[in-house]
Amino acid sequence: MNIRQAFKMAWKSIWGKKGRAILTMLGIIIGIASVMTIVSAISGYADKMMEQFEAMGTNRIAVEVYNYVYVEDENGNWVPQGKDYFPDIYSYCNSMKELVVGVTPNAYFSGTMVYGTKNTDKMREDFHYDEMGNPVGERPPSFYYGSDQYGVCGNLKILRGRDLTQLDIKNYNQVMVLGAQAAKAFFGTANPVGKTVQLNSIKFEVVGVYASRMEDENSMMGSIDNFVVVPYTVKRVLGGETDSSFTVVAKNMEDMEEIVSRLNGFLKGLVDQNTGGFYVQPENQGMDYMNQTLGMIGGVLAGVAAISLMVGGIGIMNIMLVTVTERTREIGIRRAIGAQRSSIVTQFLIEAAMLCGIGGLIGMALGTGGCMLLGNLLFNMTIYPSAPVTAGAFGLSVLLGIIFGCYPAVKASKLQPVEALRAE
Amino acid sequence: MEKLVELKDVFKIYGEGLESEVRALDGVSLTICRGEFVAVVGQSGSGKSTMMNVLGCLDIPTRGDYFLEGTDVRELTDKELSRIRNKEIGFIFQQYNLIQTLTVLENVELPLIYQGINADDRRDMALEALERVGLSSRIKHKPTEMSGGQQQRVAIARAIATRPPIIMADEPTGALDSRTGHEVLEFLQQLNREGTTVILITHDNGIAATARRCVRLTDGKIVEDKEQEVDWF
Repeated sequence: MNIRQAFKMAWKSIWGKKGRAILTMLGIIIGIASVMTIVSAISGYADKMMEQFEAMGTNRIAVEVYNYVYVEDENGNWVPQGKDYFPDIYSYCNSMKELVVGVTPNAYFSGTMVYGTKNTDKMREDFHYDEMGNPVGERPPSFYYGSDQYGVCGNLKILRGRDLTQLDIKNYNQVMVLGAQAAKAFFGTANPVGKTVQLNSIKFEVVGVYASRMEDENSMMGSIDNFVVVPYTVKRVLGGETDSSFTVVAKNMEDMEEIVSRLNGFLKGLVDQNTGGFYVQPENQGMDYMNQTLGMIGGVLAGVAAISLMVGGIGIMNIMLVTVTERTREIGIRRAIGAQRSSIVTQFLIEAAMLCGIGGLIGMALGTGGCMLLGNLLFNMTIYPSAPVTAGAFGLSVLLGIIFGCYPAVKASKLQPVEALRAE
Repeated sequence: MEKLVELKDVFKIYGEGLESEVRALDGVSLTICRGEFVAVVGQSGSGKSTMMNVLGCLDIPTRGDYFLEGTDVRELTDKELSRIRNKEIGFIFQQYNLIQTLTVLENVELPLIYQGINADDRRDMALEALERVGLSSRIKHKPTEMSGGQQQRVAIARAIATRPPIIMADEPTGALDSRTGHEVLEFLQQLNREGTTVILITHDNGIAATARRCVRLTDGKIVEDKEQEVDWF
């Protein structure tokens, strides 16, 4: 007997009892659908996060320098005592150009930017989420202090005008460069370069616009290109604390350890350990941590789904055993007219595998829908199941059929022809 | 004449050694040659069905030798026994034993499927067999949609589709009215005239009388084995 015939027979037998087949498959359908939904949604989310991280540039090292001691300044505000460490860190990092791409303060500040009718305070007020969790209105941009290396550190390319320069830093120039999304929000399609805007009631000139880093500009956290950067030295006019967070970007991933150890050595000599402290840490640790957490949640959920698959498989075995008992006479007839044991095993194994395979296909369809729905509900984005997950789910369901079909199939083949023929 | 089937002192004992032991076959020796038409006749419980199961390689004797075309059947593996049932023997049962979920054509094709014959040849062979029993117009029907006589003709078509040298018929007329039963017996005669060896199991002396040779079984023993004039009822 060839395999094609065996498949035809199995299909006939399943089609002959459609209602029962659907009920039998239910366990597998639910199991596969939930495994696919969970695995796809989690891995899809992780991939999106990764994409965002990568768009912002990789090989980032976070440097934090802080003071314990606060003093009162002339305006009566309490500010951390001690000097601005950035110029020292800047020149140190630029002394190892073979390892480092650049260094910049990594501090955002709250600001109000006004241009014509556009006003960030108004945007902040109007922006909200609807009941489905979708953002409505325009998100106000974030404001950053940066060095002339802010662009290279953030994997940013200039689209129009120019980047911040060392001269801007040195001369406290009231200039700004816009991220692509911020430029679009404020100026639409017009060229912002050369325009003057009000930032906290101080005039700033837009000198450049960065190119967009991500295609998908409406992800859950808002666009990563929705920002404004000004020279960190204009803090003198805008006010605020001395920067304490910096980002150093390494040329190569392999050099990060070396840079971290050099910075640790350098800062040990620079920062007074009695009044302050520092730490240096690669940022991808945060990414690793996120991946680990997601992996763990996914693992637990997939475990639960796997148990439901097991139960589904046992259901298949149960029904196959009933089928074998019901069809004892048929098995006897087949044996009498020349079916070998192996033909009977093949027939029932293929039937079980096909039952599970069809269940798997239905489960996959539901899982795809579930995955897209879950992505929309939880993460506010459409996640499609990946090809390996889909193929894996199908393979798994067929495998379950074979595993749980084995016992009934072998049992069927062990029947003595003469006894099987006697069955009613 | 060439020996086709040879039983030598064959026993089939259920529950051997127990007080309740049943000797379905109790030292049976029988030789059947190629081309014979043999009726095995006996009352219910005489062991005639057990004999057919043993002869048909559906059951294995407890003791004794069984040679089929010179081969010792007790030496054969399941695979080889399956091959013999498939190619050497065509079975016809009292209850037809058709598979209800398959169509007439598929039922007749089944032994050919197990032989591994390709779809086109298989269909031709099955159609030819169905034509011989006069059912070529109802090949798409399910057995349940047919009368008992028609179902038995399908079973006969299935038995002859592989062109086996031996036909074993176990009470083939038992579930049929006398006219249809007569047709079945006539068909078996026809097959025998064409060279097929026919072994007919029956409890009915009238039916046994249609065979040239009659073997009578009582309590698992052969009590009579005679050549006779064929007598049509």
